[in-house]
Amino acid sequence: MFCRIFGGNIVMSEDLTQRHSAFRFHGSWQEFAKIAFPNLLLSIVTLGIYRFWATTREREYLWAQTDFIDERLEWTGKGMELFIGFIMVFLLLGLPFIVIQLISQGLIFRGETVIAGVITLVMFLLLFYLTGVAYFRALRYRLSRTYWRGIRGGSNDPGFRYGLSYMWRSFVGWLPIFLLVPWSMISLWNERWNAMSFGPHRFEANADWKPLMKRYLLFYLVPFLLVAGIITMVIVAAASGDQLGAVGGAGMAVGVVIVVIAALSLYIILPLAALAFYSKYFRLAVGGLRLHNLEFDFRARAPDWILFFLANMAIVICTLGIGYIFMPYRNWKFFVDHMEAYGDINIDELTQSKTIVSKHGEGLLDAFDVGAI
Amino acid sequence: MDTFFNVWHYDGRSAVRRKVEIQTIGRQFFLLENERRHGPFSFSDVEYVTRKENVHVYGLADVDGWRLMLSGPVPSELSELLPAHRKYGGWVDRLGLGKATIAFTLASAAAVAVVLLSPQWLAPLIPSSVDKKLGDALVGDFGGRFCSTPAGDAALKKLVNSLDSNPQDLQVEVAKIDMINAVALPGGKVILFDGLVKQARSPDEVAGVLAHEIGHVREKHVMQALLRQMGLAVVLGGVDGNSGALVNNMLAMSYSRNSEAEADAHSMKALGKAEISPVGTASFFERLSELDGSARSGDKGQGIAGYMSSHPLSRERKKAFEKSIVKGKNYKPALTATEWTELKTMCTQDRKAKSGFGFDFE
Repeated sequence: MFCRIFGGNIVMSEDLTQRHSAFRFHGSWQEFAKIAFPNLLLSIVTLGIYRFWATTREREYLWAQTDFIDERLEWTGKGMELFIGFIMVFLLLGLPFIVIQLISQGLIFRGETVIAGVITLVMFLLLFYLTGVAYFRALRYRLSRTYWRGIRGGSNDPGFRYGLSYMWRSFVGWLPIFLLVPWSMISLWNERWNAMSFGPHRFEANADWKPLMKRYLLFYLVPFLLVAGIITMVIVAAASGDQLGAVGGAGMAVGVVIVVIAALSLYIILPLAALAFYSKYFRLAVGGLRLHNLEFDFRARAPDWILFFLANMAIVICTLGIGYIFMPYRNWKFFVDHMEAYGDINIDELTQSKTIVSKHGEGLLDAFDVGAI
Repeated sequence: MDTFFNVWHYDGRSAVRRKVEIQTIGRQFFLLENERRHGPFSFSDVEYVTRKENVHVYGLADVDGWRLMLSGPVPSELSELLPAHRKYGGWVDRLGLGKATIAFTLASAAAVAVVLLSPQWLAPLIPSSVDKKLGDALVGDFGGRFCSTPAGDAALKKLVNSLDSNPQDLQVEVAKIDMINAVALPGGKVILFDGLVKQARSPDEVAGVLAHEIGHVREKHVMQALLRQMGLAVVLGGVDGNSGALVNNMLAMSYSRNSEAEADAHSMKALGKAEISPVGTASFFERLSELDGSARSGDKGQGIAGYMSSHPLSRERKKAFEKSIVKGKNYKPALTATEWTELKTMCTQDRKAKSGFGFDFE
């Protein structure tokens, strides 16, 4: 649970004795509220356009409240960058897609369903490819705007090859009745992070997907087990219902109970299994990450994730939805609170990144609404 | 100038943290670190980066990662030379939150108003050649679904001629599709679906619906709707996800309701001019209202449904058409009995026309 930092003119060794995590979050939701509420107001009155600046302000705060060893992080992204990214996507993708949709509608009108189908398929494949590119570029953008001690991260890879990789790996993951999804998720994580760097050091991601299979099978089998269980119950109920039929609505009551149990299982057990899987995935993925002499770890386990999500739901529901604006805060706090780093950093060796800095932000990502990590 | 507050510096080349003092010389400054001196730097190149709790962070233009971090009471001589703190970003900081909110609200309302109103003025400016090309591209020969027989075509032509004074720039067709519907498309194209013609009890009913669609063409509703939809997509593109789509639909719908009423008015006028009785159209809506349930629903539910749906409720339209009946007027049937039979059986007679949509195999 410690991290040592040396080099420069100061040698920090206090972390050795204090034994707290290398990552610490100092923010408070009251302070965040002072950012989130004006953001909400401004986003509404600008028909949503302010949200790029809103995101930027929130990140500035969250990053600045995050300590890594002995210095706060810094978010240097700009609202204008995100806005330009969004406009670029709208012009390069949104408008052509509207036109293509019009054309394919016209084709259906004319009875050219085959051509319309082909156009739709090509559109879908292109979107799928761009989703992959978007994931990659979002991570790259975020690293290139994150500074620690005046040093930033980034990547020189534009992510176009990753887009192809995303397509074929996802496809292979689905092919054997979705059984290789853990492999595709982990291998894509590794590929993404192996292309990233911080300062002069490249990230190394070597997460293994095989330990993830047990949890995945648990999640995978839940629906089958549920269906099997429900069928058994229905058979039992039907058998007893014959005798109870004379008594009146008792058979009906049993039926209602079965339906309620089935619905509950579907809405409770399935998400729980999904969270258990995701928690293991994230633990393995972060655990396989290295930066020079630093190793990372994510300590949240399935119960932590479950509590986290239940609390999020409670907050959103109890505040009639307003609590939604605190979700970026909650997510970041959860992430930082459970992040851990071990190893040494040589400050003298940690020199500035030479990666290129793109002038536009998460346009693609924003358009497809996906998360970076 | 010696200072007592804390100043830290990162040079952007390495992660080494340097405790420094600022030495100001006119519009320039040096950073003194033990025996080393960094600089000179110009105050005009200094940019505000961010705030880390009580530490204000400054950067230097064009030097990646260069940081000057100040904590404690900054001497006023120094703070005057440093750029202002940023809170919300450019415009909002300059105006203040309250004024910026008002300004943004007004600008947004103006943008939405322009998008909603301008199609009415813009649509007539679009040359009819563009309109026609768009219609041709969209419809073509409708996949060979248009029905045609010499007698049926003649009956349809007679109907169109009686309802419009410039029938040459309209293209009215009956399509072999079993749906009770009719559409107006760009380029003066009006398509009556065979299902509508078949279930009609008199040619007067078809005339009313046809006149309604011609009304859409004549009032340039089709181009207006296209422009409005495009404009709303642009303006509300900034709003993410469902809320944007909902607002978009509501605005588009409430407006097209207006267009429907206009097209109805056009239809009543055209019927009157052609001396065709609106009774048929009224009874058509009567039957339609039984289909869409507006005849059965209570008054309250009706109001909501009427607002949200793009077509005004059939029952209200029925009443409007009934009102337009002029008592004592000598109405003539829209078509003779023979013509009406020819029109009704046109699609059955025309065996070459394809039926349905491309995806069903009838």
